[in-house]
Amino acid sequence: MLSRNAQGLYWMSRYLQRAEHGCRLLADQFLSLEDRPVAEIERSWRRIYAGLGRSPLVGDLESGVESEGFMLADAYTLADELSFEPENPDAIRSCVAAARENARQVRTAIGQDMWSCLNVAYLGLRDVRIEDIWNHQPREFYLRTEDALRTFSGIADSTMYRDHGWSFLELGRFVERVQLVAALVDAQVALFPTSEAHAESDWGSLLGVCQARVAFRRLHSFQYGPALVVDFLVSDMRLSHSIRHALERIAEQLRAVASRRESAAGLAAQRRVGRIAARLDYDWPYRDPEDDASTRAVLGEIRDACRLLHADIESAYFSYAIEDSPRP
Amino acid sequence: MSAPDASPSGSGGARDKEPGGEARRLFGEYAADPAFYDEMFDESGVPRPHCRVLWETLDAMPGAEIGAMQERAERSFLREGVTFAVYGEEGAHERIIPIDFLPRILNALEWDFLERGLRQRLTALNLFLADVYGPARILGDGVVPVDLVRGCPQYRIEMRGVEVPHGTYVSVCGTDLVRTHEGFMVLEDNLRVPSGVSYMLANRRAVKTSLRDLFRRYAVRGIEHYGQLLRQTLAELAPPGVSDPCIVLLTPGVYNSAFYEHMFLAREMGVELVEGGDLLVHNGFVYMRTTDGLRRVDVVYRRIDDDFVDPLAFRSDSQLGVPGLFHSYRLGRVTIANAPGTGVADDKSVYYYVPDIIRYYLGEEPLLPNVETHLCRDPRSLEYTLDNLDRLVVKMVGESGGYGMLVGPHSTASERAAYAEQVRANPSNFVSQPTLDLSCAPCLSDDGAVPRHVDLRPFILCGRETRLVPGAFCRVALKPGSLVVNSSQGGGGKDLWVLADQGESAGETAP
Repeated sequence: MLSRNAQGLYWMSRYLQRAEHGCRLLADQFLSLEDRPVAEIERSWRRIYAGLGRSPLVGDLESGVESEGFMLADAYTLADELSFEPENPDAIRSCVAAARENARQVRTAIGQDMWSCLNVAYLGLRDVRIEDIWNHQPREFYLRTEDALRTFSGIADSTMYRDHGWSFLELGRFVERVQLVAALVDAQVALFPTSEAHAESDWGSLLGVCQARVAFRRLHSFQYGPALVVDFLVSDMRLSHSIRHALERIAEQLRAVASRRESAAGLAAQRRVGRIAARLDYDWPYRDPEDDASTRAVLGEIRDACRLLHADIESAYFSYAIEDSPRP
Repeated sequence: MSAPDASPSGSGGARDKEPGGEARRLFGEYAADPAFYDEMFDESGVPRPHCRVLWETLDAMPGAEIGAMQERAERSFLREGVTFAVYGEEGAHERIIPIDFLPRILNALEWDFLERGLRQRLTALNLFLADVYGPARILGDGVVPVDLVRGCPQYRIEMRGVEVPHGTYVSVCGTDLVRTHEGFMVLEDNLRVPSGVSYMLANRRAVKTSLRDLFRRYAVRGIEHYGQLLRQTLAELAPPGVSDPCIVLLTPGVYNSAFYEHMFLAREMGVELVEGGDLLVHNGFVYMRTTDGLRRVDVVYRRIDDDFVDPLAFRSDSQLGVPGLFHSYRLGRVTIANAPGTGVADDKSVYYYVPDIIRYYLGEEPLLPNVETHLCRDPRSLEYTLDNLDRLVVKMVGESGGYGMLVGPHSTASERAAYAEQVRANPSNFVSQPTLDLSCAPCLSDDGAVPRHVDLRPFILCGRETRLVPGAFCRVALKPGSLVVNSSQGGGGKDLWVLADQGESAGETAP
């Protein structure tokens, strides 16, 4: 496959994953706005921002806010910024637009159905403003948008030829997912220390954002113990949004694209993923689950490895030097 | 039938009911101007025999239904992103190309004549190019002036003596044809990187879906195999010894006005759509960068102008091309289609000589006439042109896409004065033609069907042999009275139905 197309698919997939994640964060946030106390909501905004590695454009979040009115005004501004703000590259609409722009460039590599689906999703978002959704079930809006994006993934899954194009689509999706989940769990542990008395809703909502609530309940009933939640999201191989699962899928696709050529950077990528997976399989279970610092250190390692992995993929498949290509 | 998903007040020309509640008929107020040939009605206002069934069917349809069809066609263009950018326009690179929903019909006799004329013309033009870049007999014999060819900015001296597979310089040609009361004429030969074929196919898809029954009743010939023919044509042009050539389509990128078309054709052919940065030349061969390493490329169907193809050979500031591509081409290791330098044959002053070129190489009379043209390099023609600016269309010889053109009757005195200055300063850069009585075809508007000027651009392919699909991109000047149909000037398109027969019995053969 043409390197530029592979790169386009990879990025398209990353942006879509980011947009989907944004939809879930905001849908969850609007759920808490219905009945949670102000302080809790405020912490939850902090988690969102820390998880995205951003600070609000309006400046720091006010802490210790007591007034309900103030909180709603805040929510309005923050939701706008995270959904529609053109200056915010991580805003949901910016991500969908970037994904579509990548899709437009690689339209020969994706099916007509995939393009139409994404194009329609984008056109549906293009002119929406926060005031349009604020008084009309805002949560519905995020669920609907997420749905449109997941329909796209479904079409990709059921129509794409399983060549390198598919592999890079999957790589984009799971590299981004590792980053997002690792950052979100890290933010959670930083803001809600596991030793502290905790509101179950804080940890329940984290599970919700990671599509893990029902699976967790079946395993652990309603014991939302922080350590259990963290462990579930990091290391459970069977959970689609867990870091361990995502690493497995990345390893699988790296093998698929390397089958016909072995380059130094390609091998480096495989080794990097293997090392992190082994760390989670053999070291992680034996750490002290109450020791937040060591938990956060592992999450930091994962995020660093992911950044380097991204660079490996770039140089192995997208922009390699002539000398590094197999002799034509 | 009803169309529940249509909004009745859209922009698609949905027609309201008259106050009395009686639906207006589509052609109820159609007023053909006798000054122009009308594609649907004869001089007495009666539908031409092959248009009768189309007219009857559409005229009897409720206005809301026709409006809904038009909207559905527009919506499908939006969803699929059928775009043609108009540079300098707001919201530019994703402008949906306008589609008019009412098809235009040519019967078998009309098409057969056009097809023979087009084949003849392209054959002669390819022989002309081979000659001009080879022995130059035609120049020696004084049929075409030497200075006109050698002085043409599109003449590429670098092409002298280059071996071109099958002598095919022009492998994709888009000829602009117009019809007047006197018949069909060639307005322009587009021999460089003509575009529009994807809109021909998109228009067909959109119209066929909605007018299914009508389409079946007429024996409309298929055009959907264009991509296959194009691929076959390009494969035939591969360098000698290459049996399963790797073909790529080279695009300037998403910001090019015809990017949709580039993407569409690459997908239809099943070849990679590449940008300059995806290709590189190594040891005289061309490669593309893939996830499996470098892969050799044999044929480049380029949709980039000559100037930008290779910064080492042509414009050195080009960011779009591939350094060394032309060198590899000269070595015969890759084919560039169309060949560089074909622009010398569609130059607007060389155009004047095409009938002579046909006679010279083929010993035949040209089937398709030219439009009467005056070359301003000739002092008498210059004088005539300047004296009649208000009646003529004046064009710059090297331009295409309707840029740099003066349409006399639609210009103001000060525009003409300014233009005359330019012409006087460099007469050889200009040609003039009478303002043509371009034919009209019915187009949908808020007031029912109205006449609008149209032309057509069929696409002729040439590899080892010449091929064309029975169809064309039919361009429409959407503004009332406007004669400018160019997509780059905001024109639209409509579907053109070429019939396998005379179309007079379409009604009787209903299934």
